[in-house]
Amino acid sequence: MKKGHIYTFVFMVVLSAILVFALAFAYEGFKPSIANNTASRERRAILDAVGQTQARSDDEVIDAFDAAMKPVQIAGQNAYEYLENGETKAYALPFHGAALWGSVDGYLGVNADMSRTTGIVFTDQNETPGLGGRIDETWYKEQFRDLPIEDGRILTYGSHDDYQIDAITGATQTSQAILRMVNAMIQSVIFSGEVK
Amino acid sequence: MADKPMSIIKTQLFSENQVLRQVLGICSALAVTNSMNNSLVMGLGVSFVTGLSSMTLSAMRNIIPRRVRMLVQTLIIAVYVIFVDLTLQAFLPDISKQLGPYVGLIITNCIIMGRAEAYAQSNPPIPALIDGFFAGLGYTGVLLIVSLIREVLGFGTILGMNVNFFGFETWTIAIMPPAAFFIIGALIWGLSARAAKKTVATTK
Repeated sequence: MKKGHIYTFVFMVVLSAILVFALAFAYEGFKPSIANNTASRERRAILDAVGQTQARSDDEVIDAFDAAMKPVQIAGQNAYEYLENGETKAYALPFHGAALWGSVDGYLGVNADMSRTTGIVFTDQNETPGLGGRIDETWYKEQFRDLPIEDGRILTYGSHDDYQIDAITGATQTSQAILRMVNAMIQSVIFSGEVK
Repeated sequence: MADKPMSIIKTQLFSENQVLRQVLGICSALAVTNSMNNSLVMGLGVSFVTGLSSMTLSAMRNIIPRRVRMLVQTLIIAVYVIFVDLTLQAFLPDISKQLGPYVGLIITNCIIMGRAEAYAQSNPPIPALIDGFFAGLGYTGVLLIVSLIREVLGFGTILGMNVNFFGFETWTIAIMPPAAFFIIGALIWGLSARAAKKTVATTK
């Protein structure tokens, strides 16, 4: 059943057209729920960074976020201010940096006078699942609550007088990269002289 | 020449297991097997894609020009992989986030194209679907065995639940890729040794 060049050519064109159409159709169909997931995930993450961790449905997260978070510019960064009854309670400061495989984006929550952290979240990371990807596990992120922020002092792993953070076994590179980008952000955003 | 479904299933799950006997799909078997959760989702993704792409390719087998058949296989497989990726993003966002790059890597799994070439292109759609799906399940089974060993030794957990009751020191090497080499290697060795014994026994 030998087939000619024209048949082959037409076959590929028709097949590609059908498949592209099917994919575009599926993509459009899923788009609202994917966009919804992304929006609520990002908002949930930012609320988590400022210590608002209560269980909520996706819709409640979006409502709570719109009610309490105000976009602000801090040292040129698109940060969020967390308000409770009109009073500033915390800030969510974005950080960004290179880890082992790709870039990592996230927010570090700090309290109103920027002297303690309130939490950390990662909004985008492509580290190895099961190894570096474990930065997204709760136990790792919970370690970043209520850490001291001081000028010229950097956070390091291990046990210290007033705080303790553990790195991830088997993911040293990723662990180090996270602290590196968090420390860099703290120094450049909080102690750059523009805020305090 | 349609094979009986049961014999296809048995062949794919055990006697011709894609990972242990054909040594295909090794790349992802090394990468995702440090936790059972990831292995399970990856395995199901591969089963789904292998089954459906085998069925589709088999249904089209008489109209695909031979010289572009690999191109067509890749196209069809890619469409199903993107479909799985979209479905995970839309309905299981947490798992999708955790698996991240691996979902896209389903397409590089040699088992899928292996089954398309070895079975789907010369058999009817229903047997091809069964063949592909169970080839994927055979792969899933091996992944689960390997990840069970690695997760227990490396993290002291099963499916994320703590089973480290005796407080033993977890092995860092178990969660690094080399551990999968040792475990899969040992499994292949065991199975081949058994198969070899059988051959000797029947030829005597």
